[in-house]
Amino acid sequence: MTTKSKRNPILRKRGLRAALALGLGAALSLGASGCSSSSTGAGGGQIVVYTYGDNSTNIQQAAVDAFNKTSTVKVKLVQVPGNDYSPKLRTVMTSSSAPDVFFNWGGGSIAPYVKANELVDLTPYFNQAPLKGAFLPSVVAAGAVDGKDYGVPMRGMQPVILFYNKTLFAQYNLQPPNTWAAMQAAITTFKAHGVIPFALGGADNWPDLMWLEYMLDRVGGSGEFTKIQNGDSSGWTDQAMTTSLTDIQQLIQEGAFGTKFTSTSYTNNAAPALLGSGKAAMQLMGSWDYANQLSNYPNFAKSEEGFTTFPDVAGGTGNPADVVGNPTNFWSINAKTKYLSTAVAFVQYMASDTYTKALLAGGWIPTATTTSSLLSSYPNPAFGQFQYQMVQQAPSFQLSWDQALPTAVGTPLDTEVGKFFAGQVSVSQFESDMQTTQKNAGS
Amino acid sequence: MIRLAVETTPRTGARASCAAGPGRRNRPGLADRLRRDNPAAALAALLWLAIVIVPIYVMINASFQSQSSALGGDLLVPTTHPTLQNYKLAFQNGFMHLLFNTVVVTVATIVLVLGLSVPLAFAIVRARGRHSSLLVFRIFLLGLAIPAPVILVPLYVMVSKMGLYDTLWAIILPTVAFAMPVTLLVLVGTMRDISEELYEAMALEGATPARMLFKLVIPLSRGGISTVAVFSGLSAWNGLLFPLILTQSPQNEVLTTGLWSLSSEYGVDIPAMLAALTLAGIPMLVLYLAARRALISSVVGFGGR
Amino acid sequence: MTLAATSGKPRPQRHGAGAPARVGRPRLAWALPGFLFFALFAVVPMLYAVYLSFCGNWSGIGSPQLSGAGNWTRLFQDSSIRQATRLTVELTVLSWVFQTPVAMLIGVWAAGKQRNRAVLAALFFIPLVLSSTAISLLFKALLDPNFGLAPSIGPWIGFPDGNILGSTNGALIALVFVGGWQFMPFHTLIYQGGARAIPKSFYDAAAIDGAGRVAQFVHITLPQLRNTITTSSVLIVVGSLTSFETVFLLTQGGPGAATSTLSWVMYQNAFDDFNFGYACALGAGLVVVSTVLSLLMVRLSGFGSMRSTREGA
Repeated sequence: MTTKSKRNPILRKRGLRAALALGLGAALSLGASGCSSSSTGAGGGQIVVYTYGDNSTNIQQAAVDAFNKTSTVKVKLVQVPGNDYSPKLRTVMTSSSAPDVFFNWGGGSIAPYVKANELVDLTPYFNQAPLKGAFLPSVVAAGAVDGKDYGVPMRGMQPVILFYNKTLFAQYNLQPPNTWAAMQAAITTFKAHGVIPFALGGADNWPDLMWLEYMLDRVGGSGEFTKIQNGDSSGWTDQAMTTSLTDIQQLIQEGAFGTKFTSTSYTNNAAPALLGSGKAAMQLMGSWDYANQLSNYPNFAKSEEGFTTFPDVAGGTGNPADVVGNPTNFWSINAKTKYLSTAVAFVQYMASDTYTKALLAGGWIPTATTTSSLLSSYPNPAFGQFQYQMVQQAPSFQLSWDQALPTAVGTPLDTEVGKFFAGQVSVSQFESDMQTTQKNAGS
Repeated sequence: MIRLAVETTPRTGARASCAAGPGRRNRPGLADRLRRDNPAAALAALLWLAIVIVPIYVMINASFQSQSSALGGDLLVPTTHPTLQNYKLAFQNGFMHLLFNTVVVTVATIVLVLGLSVPLAFAIVRARGRHSSLLVFRIFLLGLAIPAPVILVPLYVMVSKMGLYDTLWAIILPTVAFAMPVTLLVLVGTMRDISEELYEAMALEGATPARMLFKLVIPLSRGGISTVAVFSGLSAWNGLLFPLILTQSPQNEVLTTGLWSLSSEYGVDIPAMLAALTLAGIPMLVLYLAARRALISSVVGFGGR
Repeated sequence: MTLAATSGKPRPQRHGAGAPARVGRPRLAWALPGFLFFALFAVVPMLYAVYLSFCGNWSGIGSPQLSGAGNWTRLFQDSSIRQATRLTVELTVLSWVFQTPVAMLIGVWAAGKQRNRAVLAALFFIPLVLSSTAISLLFKALLDPNFGLAPSIGPWIGFPDGNILGSTNGALIALVFVGGWQFMPFHTLIYQGGARAIPKSFYDAAAIDGAGRVAQFVHITLPQLRNTITTSSVLIVVGSLTSFETVFLLTQGGPGAATSTLSWVMYQNAFDDFNFGYACALGAGLVVVSTVLSLLMVRLSGFGSMRSTREGA
């Protein structure tokens, strides 16, 4: 289990600390930052793989070790400390010591590299064995840019799930909140009994965004955001967006998130603690929160915690099976690699059962299509099954907006959603602000 | 109020005479009394004292609580079952290492600031070309207005090019540069106050500039120099931005960045966080209690400028 | 350590009216090492930042290309910048209004020595030696709405549920308060130093004329503290304009954008959005504003004309 992760690495794309060490690549052609990854020693035969350094890299290291046993060109895994990953990668990608294969979040996180022609188009490889049909299609799609595949899934999936406290629901004779009506009934009842209906870490902004992602999907379908993602900023003012925002505003006003969510943070574990300690009844959060509860409130996680999908919204045209969250992390291949075949062979290895099993044992739900048959080895099969099926049945698995969009839109979006939840901007202001932001960023 | 003033006179007088304080204390004039006995100010001071003490009390008190008792109880209530667990945790998280790095950064900063600024200030005050030295001084004054966050991006490029990224030097050098404007302000002010006759007397003996600096200027600027040392030391010790951006690896973490990392690691384990904060404050508190007078008079000296 | 000399307010006017000594004067070259060092680590980066501000939305990938003043025109149209500017001004004014009167009151009072005041002072000045980081993190823990002191304190100060950091005004007040908590002792000391330097004879004379305490304060203390007030105000204003760490650690600009000050917006643009060009434009703008402000205030205090008092014109 990735025990301590407050916010899983998949989400911690923009670790603050790091964020800083920005890459000024060509501007400085530095060999300075000490990463002794002088990659391809001419005849030595080695490819360098950058991965996000956290407590589950042992899975990748084991894969590398196994791969090296049969490969003549060896793989060298470089673990970049998590917080520093994005900026470090930026720095190094334009220098001579760029990695051959690197960890990323798909979507917006690799779009700049794609634009600069720095990545290998993997679409042909996904059309043949062993990658063909190896991973859930909705997940592979999240690693694509402009319809071409650039990423091979290499970690587990992290859909956003509606967690709830089964004990509290039973105590007040409530149905699981998987329909809008049941959710509303729960909100009314819990408020009357002094329980916060939903724990929400609004101080971090991005937990707020999860609500908008699901609402827009349920109200207008997954195409609504795709439109925005494709650069059409008019998507921000569509009727579906207005309806979703208005519904959320209503939830806020009726106290669905309590009164203190704007100063409650997820990253410092405050919001999860509200759910785990029974002060709040539900939480909309990524699947990683289960591991979090398991380490801080083990009794709650084992016997009281329930999980369900985000409810359908009356009158909405979206498919209630759609999922948002973080499909997975990906390997992408640097177009400048000298050993393309080795790099491809290495990323293909991710489709093997050995690797899938290793992920399962590490507490991840892999995105390989073979996962369902291997799920029994997962630490908590019921939760694993739920999660896997949820994603497997999803027509669309939307990557979190703040990561799917270019950072110049994604970060302001986080702030703007925070402003909206804090009541600082109206529905129409939110829409026009985001439209302007996206227009400016596009220029 | 007048009655109050009259009452205090003999006491103050008595104490002053046996304490044999500096001249003016021996003659507590009416004006002094008027200045002193200001109940509104006294009340404000007491109130502010409470505002200062309460958070510090909570910090120390709650740092001895276990997380579970802190969650249930009140951080204000005196701890009944004190535990050292939080402190143990802080040491396990490498507190000594953070402390060591911070000391290195602080000492190096002080040394560099003094080494660069003292001759600089001397030149500004005494150099022959008055206009150019005034210009130099003005450029430094402009430096007062450069906020550190503004130049982070370029600074990163430079530090990387120099091969200093993720070393303690990357913290020290910009910290020194940013301490210099204030440092100069104080030193120039101090050196300016050295009387012209003293310079002339030494000049008559044919003293070289170096001799003047060491025999006259430095001894007579001790006050200003110690102010500057304290100031630059504090800014090195307390700086967050440069270490945050110009270093990355755990072995180069200093107290500020270390505390920041811990705060996200501990999350709502408030007692653990408070223990780390208490520990981080102890070295400075000890230093402060030992050299409070010097420290405070440094700031007073700064204010007198 | 004896510092009395440094705070001597009435400057010794030039004594030797004769020809200034030429011997023993250092060459300007003495200033060179310090000057070059400062230029390298402060002036050059500043100029480079200005350069980058003309490089469009350069994000660190590829090399920066000059592309006109787009960032600067955007700066003046950006509504979030306008809001941040308003907030920063609010924060600065509130900080000044909060810190100056209290610091002056206590500082002038503490200028008269008494032993009990020394005891009081030992505790009073503790915030001086704590870092902004430690202080911000301490208050972040204390103000935690669910697990800190906020639920107990909140009701007393108008936040019944303890949602201080989560409300628009509360977060701003928290920033002003935490800033004050940290710097009040410093400014108190500055005023103490200033008040000590006022010649006692002024008060004696006024007392003989029968001036009351208030009259003395208005006619002697305030005018005599003019330089001190300027010093303290410059520090408060420039400090608040560019304060970053408290926002970074305590509120992260939130809730929403309620505490998104200019330096925070700049930081976000640079290190969350990787929009270095725009961040540099914003930063350079901030430098211009704070330079103008502090020059204005420094002028008032006479720092800039420092040579004239000694050397004569």
